[in-house]
Amino acid sequence: MNEDVGTKNGAGLDDTADMDARDAAAIMQDAGNRARRELRVNTQAIYACAGVAWLLGYGGMWLSVRGQRPYQGPTPAAAFIQVVLIGLAAAITASVVGRATSGVGGFSAVQRRVSILALVIGIVAVLVLEAAIDHAGASRSIVFGVFQAAAPVLVTGVVYVATSASRLNWPALGLGLWLIAVAAGGAFAGPVGVWGVIAVAGGIGFLLIAALRPAANR
Amino acid sequence: MSEEELDPVIHAPARLRIVVTLAALPEGDNLSFTRLQDLIGLTPGNLITHLRKLEDAGYVRMQKSGSGVNATTSVSLTSEGRGALDRYTVVLRGLLDQAAATQPN
Repeated sequence: MNEDVGTKNGAGLDDTADMDARDAAAIMQDAGNRARRELRVNTQAIYACAGVAWLLGYGGMWLSVRGQRPYQGPTPAAAFIQVVLIGLAAAITASVVGRATSGVGGFSAVQRRVSILALVIGIVAVLVLEAAIDHAGASRSIVFGVFQAAAPVLVTGVVYVATSASRLNWPALGLGLWLIAVAAGGAFAGPVGVWGVIAVAGGIGFLLIAALRPAANR
Repeated sequence: MSEEELDPVIHAPARLRIVVTLAALPEGDNLSFTRLQDLIGLTPGNLITHLRKLEDAGYVRMQKSGSGVNATTSVSLTSEGRGALDRYTVVLRGLLDQAAATQPN
């Protein structure tokens, strides 16, 4: 879009004489409220959506492995549902972020791209590592249980911590640390229990942050 | 404290809106000309006039990228601009407090 526009219609707009202190305060409040409303990403919606997707996705995986003897790993149907839920959560996140950040450039935009790239690379690395562990002869309960459930959560937590640390986003930093703790601690629940622990503890973590977010924004 | 102490570069409705809007962005971020125009509600000509006054004072930075019909301009508040807005806010608060104190009950 060509923004190199003429300036003739901007002449004579130096209208300070008409504005007293009260008018100025009202303008500041109005412009500030509008900018914050329009430019701030609705993270409450993103966290709530991620929390529900997380709870249902990991919950479905847990239901699919519950009672397996010997342990086989999540069923293809449960894995498909989880992928669909992740896709839906990602699409909603992209829409919410895109609406608020349209036209916004600079550090935040670069940081967002780097974070997404780090997450994608991290998850791909987890999948490669999973294949390598399987190839090395590890049992299904380790590869498709403990590792498959906990490793992506660990990566997600580390990316959250790294991203939020640069601008001291405390709720996101807390969530990242919580996810790391859930991944590491949940692994002790074994190949079946780890899915359930991550579903409940991770999902609640996201939903709790969503619930606390309006207070943090005030 | 008097209204003359208010920075005349900022103390105009349109420029005050521009500076307050840009100050809502975190430091290091910028806003496209078109998005800023949407948020402020000025014509492109009016907006560019006010932006140039703010740029001349060192309060905003305008960066152009691309050329021809693909040219885009991004606008950001400088640290001088942030400081000027902080000082403006302090003076404004003082004036409002003064007015409230002298108002009869």
